[in-house]
Amino acid sequence: MIFRILLYAGLALLLPGLVALGYSLWEGPAAWTTDVRTFWGVPISLFVFWIGIAHAGTLISAILLALGVKLDRRTSLLAELTTLCALVVAAVFPLMHLGVVENFYMVIPFADARGSFANVRSPLVWDFCCIAVYALLSLVFFGIHLFSERFQALEDLRRPMAWLLFPLVLWVHTIVSLDFATTFVPQWQGAFFPLYFIAGAIYSGLAMVNVLLVAEGCRVRLLEKLMMAFSFLMLLFWGWIFAVKGEWNFSVFAFGALLPQLWWISSVRESPVGRLAISISVLFGLWLERYYLVSPTNPEAFGWIDVGLLAFSIGLFTTLLVVLRIKLRKPIEGGELLFGELDEKPVPVVEPHTEPLTSREFIVLRFPLLVGVLVALVYTLWAVSRPALDTVSVLLPNVAPLFYPIVALVAALVLCARPFWKIATDDALLMNSKAKSLARRLSVVFPFVVLAFLAGMFYAGGSSTPSKYSTSSDISHFVESDSVAVPDSLHARAIWNARCSSCHGTDGKFNEKFIREFYPVPQKLTAERFDSLGEDSLVHVIMNGRTNMNPYGDRITEPEARALVRYMRSLAESNEPADISASEKNESAPEIDEPVSETNESAEVAP
Amino acid sequence: MDRREFLKLFSMTVAGFALFGCRDGLFGTPVKRDAAPNLADFENEVRLALSKMKPGMELVRVPMPAAHKIPGASSENRFGMAIDLDACDACGKCVLACIQENNIPLSGPELVARGQFMHWIELFGGAPAMCFHCGDAPCEKVCPTGAANHTPDGISAMMYKRCTGSRFCGANCPIGARKFNFEDPVASGRSHKFNASVPVREKGVMEKCSLCLQRLQDSRQGFKALHPSESWRGRGVTTACAAACPKNAIIFGNWLDDDSPLVKAAKDRVLYAPKAIASLDPSIVYMRGRR
Repeated sequence: MIFRILLYAGLALLLPGLVALGYSLWEGPAAWTTDVRTFWGVPISLFVFWIGIAHAGTLISAILLALGVKLDRRTSLLAELTTLCALVVAAVFPLMHLGVVENFYMVIPFADARGSFANVRSPLVWDFCCIAVYALLSLVFFGIHLFSERFQALEDLRRPMAWLLFPLVLWVHTIVSLDFATTFVPQWQGAFFPLYFIAGAIYSGLAMVNVLLVAEGCRVRLLEKLMMAFSFLMLLFWGWIFAVKGEWNFSVFAFGALLPQLWWISSVRESPVGRLAISISVLFGLWLERYYLVSPTNPEAFGWIDVGLLAFSIGLFTTLLVVLRIKLRKPIEGGELLFGELDEKPVPVVEPHTEPLTSREFIVLRFPLLVGVLVALVYTLWAVSRPALDTVSVLLPNVAPLFYPIVALVAALVLCARPFWKIATDDALLMNSKAKSLARRLSVVFPFVVLAFLAGMFYAGGSSTPSKYSTSSDISHFVESDSVAVPDSLHARAIWNARCSSCHGTDGKFNEKFIREFYPVPQKLTAERFDSLGEDSLVHVIMNGRTNMNPYGDRITEPEARALVRYMRSLAESNEPADISASEKNESAPEIDEPVSETNESAEVAP
Repeated sequence: MDRREFLKLFSMTVAGFALFGCRDGLFGTPVKRDAAPNLADFENEVRLALSKMKPGMELVRVPMPAAHKIPGASSENRFGMAIDLDACDACGKCVLACIQENNIPLSGPELVARGQFMHWIELFGGAPAMCFHCGDAPCEKVCPTGAANHTPDGISAMMYKRCTGSRFCGANCPIGARKFNFEDPVASGRSHKFNASVPVREKGVMEKCSLCLQRLQDSRQGFKALHPSESWRGRGVTTACAAACPKNAIIFGNWLDDDSPLVKAAKDRVLYAPKAIASLDPSIVYMRGRR
């Protein structure tokens, strides 16, 4: 019943929010309020807010599991579900924040046809990679937890996974804080930012879980106590910021630290409404804090679209969470597991004390961790010594942010491979044949996808020679005309290398990536094709453009375009295999190289 | 209502609401597109910008710019400018010349209301300031896609097609030299293409002073076509603002070429840079007083 009400409330916020989202996407960043100094606005503050909640969910579940604090299954599953839904919400905002949304893929460190690579020095790239790894591992962690009832192999995976995720969450949120802390904006500077952000994330996550626990009709005192402890920790940080920078925001203080102190009054904390109000006050205070951080200079200019985006984020989160919660009712509530019950099956031998290096988790984890560290080391060495990025100095601090996420990703894949394989191949474990065949197919397809992705990251493809390797001696001169109207081959070559080679390649061969990125696929140029198309039509294409080709009419003159066509023909000839009879080429060449009469009219040779 | 019907209704509603948002002027009349502006509009806007001049920046002394230390940098060319504050009388002709050379659109009322202009050159307390083309540029470090990059010749350049509009570079520029295209300059009727060799930027990308990169490229191509084996030093090139200055207060040149007018002019002058970027190795400096 409560879920149905929540679903309607979520939809009531989501649908008007969608209008704001659609308008923002259509109008671009002019739609919402942006800060004069930082150019950022509400979407980034919402991103930081929701990613904080996303981190806290897994953090609560994984840290408590890793540290051996008992939390019941429903609460920890709820926390992990919060993570997944908040991640989806958080992913929307950096995307819609972009000025050119369709170029978002350029942030992914994936070499493209022109050899341009994402700038791995930018905290935004670190952010993207770290959050992608985090989302994947959170999903795996949640899946393992959900099905740990049925498969003992998965149950055994939970603690090692928790140990992998524990540092990952701290690491990823540190990276999010570096988005701010590495810049020159005075309000964003501070070496304490990672701790400040992590504390804020846990605090807001605890408040969110407490809100959801009220909806579930129960309470977990441990989480409430933690929330109170964090309210004082945040107060400490705000006091520190006041002492260092002289910034103090009363509304953040009131909602984030002052109102939660009502918890000390027993009649407030005993009533669900009181608990709900305190938790929502904390959430609102922390969102305000992020908003004032992102827009330090004009926070009071807050428009309708900003309100709509806020409503959209809350609505999307609520709708997603409630729909998933209703769908997963059976695995979450199933069996005889109720609130307050222990999450794990009892460990067979309970030793009072184990040496860390002989503990069960360490023995399971040591091989995957070794593989992960080795892969991360190889990656770091490759990235630091990469000669292709020769205009950018990539130093160790620039690639170090990806170190632990790579370790965690590889270690988790290695860790999960055997149990998953066992479950997929064991006939006794999987009930229906459909799931079995799906599992088998997945276990074959998944490694292929991973390999293909890695190949794309490291190999840009293509046969084109970079312009720095081509020398003037390997190009034959091709203009024998006495007309001054057509610029000579060296001039054409200079234009080609400056204007055309970024797509067509210095040697005139498109590289393979180029062909994959564009449709329709460009034709390979051969001397025969040149002859059949004719010079005039190709000049027309250069001047006016065609499908994927940009028009160059306002940047180069027609004689230059004509010289380019001839240069292209000479490139096509030099690219042809040698077995084509030379006599044939010699016959056709003079015909094409004859000067064309029209070009004499507006003769203009660039100096 | 069965599940299929519900899903159909639900997805149609969601799509409908999202599409409703995709309108010009959400609840009011659509924004009117004006006709392309003429030169007088730009002159008026420069006058407005001069009347809303920002306060002066604190200047500190800097040494003469030397060769870049970044990998791949040329040891022969590092282009830059020196602005003679003793000669400059803040007439604003450089701002207009820059607009005409680089097809900078009109700023639009929303931006002007916030005291901002799209102009690549702005006057801070009577001193023209543009992107200082820092050797250790903070904007390039945070650009996620590599759209903001450094050419070997020492220019902090923009690859507009590679820009995804995250605006991180704008946040990280200490002096706010970067301008963001909140509106489509062509569709909103705010741009006039004075110069055919410079593209008008699209909606959602950052732009800033390019040190008239197109003039340098034309010079390089012409030179390389005639002298393929000689090294090009950018002699004879000047930027639009330098050419337009009636007092000859802006001097463009190559810091690493002793014959360049820039080096000749700056040799016996005291050089300054804004304090906020003085430690970032700027290529553009102020001159004041003689040594």
